[in-house]
Amino acid sequence: MTLPTPIIMADDKDVLRDVWFGRIPTCFMLYPDEVTEREAEPFYLLLPRVSYLTLVTDKVKKHFLKVVKAEDVEEMWFEYEGTPLKWHYPIGVLFDLHASNTALPWSVTVHFKDFPERDLLHCPSSSVIEAHFMSSIKEADALKHKGQVINDMQKKDHKQLWMGLQNDKFDQFWAMNRKLMEYPTEEGGFRYIPFRIYQTLSDRPFIQKLFRPVSPEGHVLTLGDLLKEMVPAAIYEPKKYQVVIHGIEPLLETPIQWLSEHLSHPDNFLHICIVPAPND
Amino acid sequence: MAGRRVECTWKRHVAEQLKQRDRVQRQAFEEIIHQYNRLLEKSDLQAVLSERLQTEKYELQDRHDVSPGAESLQQEMAQIRIRHQEELTELHKKRGELAQSVIELNNQIQQKDKEIQSNEAKMLEYQQQIAQLEGECRDLRSSLADLERANQTLRDEYDALQITFSALEEKLRKTTEDNQELVTRWMAEKAQEANRLNAENEKDCRRRQAKLQKELADAAKEPLPIEPDGVCVCFRRRRSLNSHGTSPESADAPTGVCAEVRVPSTALHVFDAHDGEVNAVRFSPGSRLLATGGMDRRVKLWEVVAGHCEPKGALTGSNAGITSIEFDSAGSYLLAASNDFASRIWTMDDYRLRHTLTGHSGKVLSARFLLDNARIVSGSYDRTLKLWDLRSKVCMKTVFAGSSCNDIVCTEQCVMSGHFDKKVRFWDIRSESIVCELELLGRVTSLDLNHDRTELLTCSRDDLVKIIDLRNNAVRQTFSAQGFKCGSDFTRVTFSPDGSYVAAGSADGVLYVWNVLTGKLDKTLDKGHSSAINSVSWSPSGTYVVSVEKGSRAVLWSDM
Repeated sequence: MTLPTPIIMADDKDVLRDVWFGRIPTCFMLYPDEVTEREAEPFYLLLPRVSYLTLVTDKVKKHFLKVVKAEDVEEMWFEYEGTPLKWHYPIGVLFDLHASNTALPWSVTVHFKDFPERDLLHCPSSSVIEAHFMSSIKEADALKHKGQVINDMQKKDHKQLWMGLQNDKFDQFWAMNRKLMEYPTEEGGFRYIPFRIYQTLSDRPFIQKLFRPVSPEGHVLTLGDLLKEMVPAAIYEPKKYQVVIHGIEPLLETPIQWLSEHLSHPDNFLHICIVPAPND
Repeated sequence: MAGRRVECTWKRHVAEQLKQRDRVQRQAFEEIIHQYNRLLEKSDLQAVLSERLQTEKYELQDRHDVSPGAESLQQEMAQIRIRHQEELTELHKKRGELAQSVIELNNQIQQKDKEIQSNEAKMLEYQQQIAQLEGECRDLRSSLADLERANQTLRDEYDALQITFSALEEKLRKTTEDNQELVTRWMAEKAQEANRLNAENEKDCRRRQAKLQKELADAAKEPLPIEPDGVCVCFRRRRSLNSHGTSPESADAPTGVCAEVRVPSTALHVFDAHDGEVNAVRFSPGSRLLATGGMDRRVKLWEVVAGHCEPKGALTGSNAGITSIEFDSAGSYLLAASNDFASRIWTMDDYRLRHTLTGHSGKVLSARFLLDNARIVSGSYDRTLKLWDLRSKVCMKTVFAGSSCNDIVCTEQCVMSGHFDKKVRFWDIRSESIVCELELLGRVTSLDLNHDRTELLTCSRDDLVKIIDLRNNAVRQTFSAQGFKCGSDFTRVTFSPDGSYVAAGSADGVLYVWNVLTGKLDKTLDKGHSSAINSVSWSPSGTYVVSVEKGSRAVLWSDM
């Protein structure tokens, strides 16, 4: 079935661009207990919000390998204030979740030893990241279009999506991704919205449930409606929590369909962080 | 509308928030991180360099333990420093060049900007011009529309006027037609009226004629006294010399002028009149007698009875051929001119020669009684005209004409003679002088007068028979025919008694009769003669025509 192309306004395109090119100033510092030949200087880097840690930190590794003895080097892993950072979360999500209202730059500690097997996944090569990325996209499309769009795409199209992300090519990526953002006009939106809600103090890693963007009566459902259903506390205690997507707090009346089209990550999921509001 | 405003609100909020985030998180740190990484690179490079230098130094020091002196080391150091200085200066030069090229490129950019500006200015100008022209164009179009409208109204007016005009034309035509019709009807009425008047006049005339005839008949029935005075109302002739009595039988009293003229169509009687040429023929005034004269020196008399000519008698005495014959107005005398230079007069009742008039020195071609019957005028080949008094029987006057005179006719005051020199001369009797001369185109062969003496008939050798109006002495009519040829110098032609026809004989023996009114040839009578016709005479009653020919024959014509 052919889906009509939604008209993306100029403002919407700006939003897409701003989302894609979002950066987080990060300061990488070597864990003091790591054995070094001489003092390791911190390494500053602007990390892309939409990418993954292990994909963009080659320079960090190179910098610190200058001072760390080769035989002490195992797989590099990162932690922030004691919390190991999962490489398979988008960087923006990690920052919003853990360091939302802290002073910039984000101070990340680099480890080369004592890999926390229980908390982190290994990432031996970029193909692992590719596999994870593509599976997220497929999962999102399954929710949106019962997987028809992603299955109609060819192998080279999938590759184009991955290459766009890896090489930071907005146009290359979105040339393919826009197909995944189409929906039949009579539906009014995707079948289900692919989203994940992260909370700082929670036993679950994230909340992911089925949610339609249009109510059975035909109303366009908003972010507020989604949160009301998934995390009611965020609605009813607004002063206590902040709802952060891509480092901003959208208004609760923003339609969820629009958010899914424009504020999703490259993996087509809408990652929402619920963090405690700063009490200043 | 509210939905859109709400939409704009949250969308705008999202956009603003993203921009804010970028300002805080990215822009603030971008430059610093970039510079920091550069410095890091530099310091790493320096560290590498210094390490290398150190190792080199140590190597050199180790080597120099063997080799002499620190000067060579210092020399080497100096050389290295020089080399580095050179490299540095080169790099400076290159930097200068690059700065120069940067300046040049900047200049070019400025120039291009200027060009762009000027082009834009020109474009603006052109746009203004275009706007102006468009304005003008609009104005022109509106004025054109106005003109077209005005033109259209004019055309409509013109069409209306055309229609009116054609209607009026039609009316005019109709009126003209009506007018014409009325005029023709009026003319018809007038013609009818005229016809009626004519008919009345004719009736009147006929009545008078009948009355006259009756009176004449009565008068004739009366025992005639010795002095025949005659009751001729129409004539102005006076009788004189009535010393001889006249008997009713031989007196051919002339009938009225209004004779019943019948155009001859058939030859009633063809007979040999003379032995030899017949020159002259004449009916008596009473139409009963016919006189012919020929080269056999005789004048023969014939009586016309029931379409035949019975010989009555002959008059002798001439010594040569007879050229012309004339009766006097009473019909009691016969005058004949002869080739023996003399003219003779016989009395008709006893056929006796009474007078012989001699004196001419040439052939007498024509002799006529003057109207008073007391005098005779004769014309001769000797180019003279002589006037004779009958009482004294002597020549009273001799007029020299200048040319041989072929024929003569007389009115009361005037004698007309036709001559060999193509002229017709008009003589006043009293004054003996030429009153008028007419020149024709050929030798005049014959003259004749109509009954009221207003028209003169001439025949000339150019084969034309002409009628001359005596009032103005001008040729009124000319008759000719294809076969008509004047046969001789003495061919005689004649009017009909009422002057409505002209008869002439042709050289080929055909008698031609023309209608005076129409001027057209009425009859050609060719069954009769076998040679040239010399003379023609029409009976005063109008019934008969006699023509005589060279070949001794005479033909009596009529229309029976």
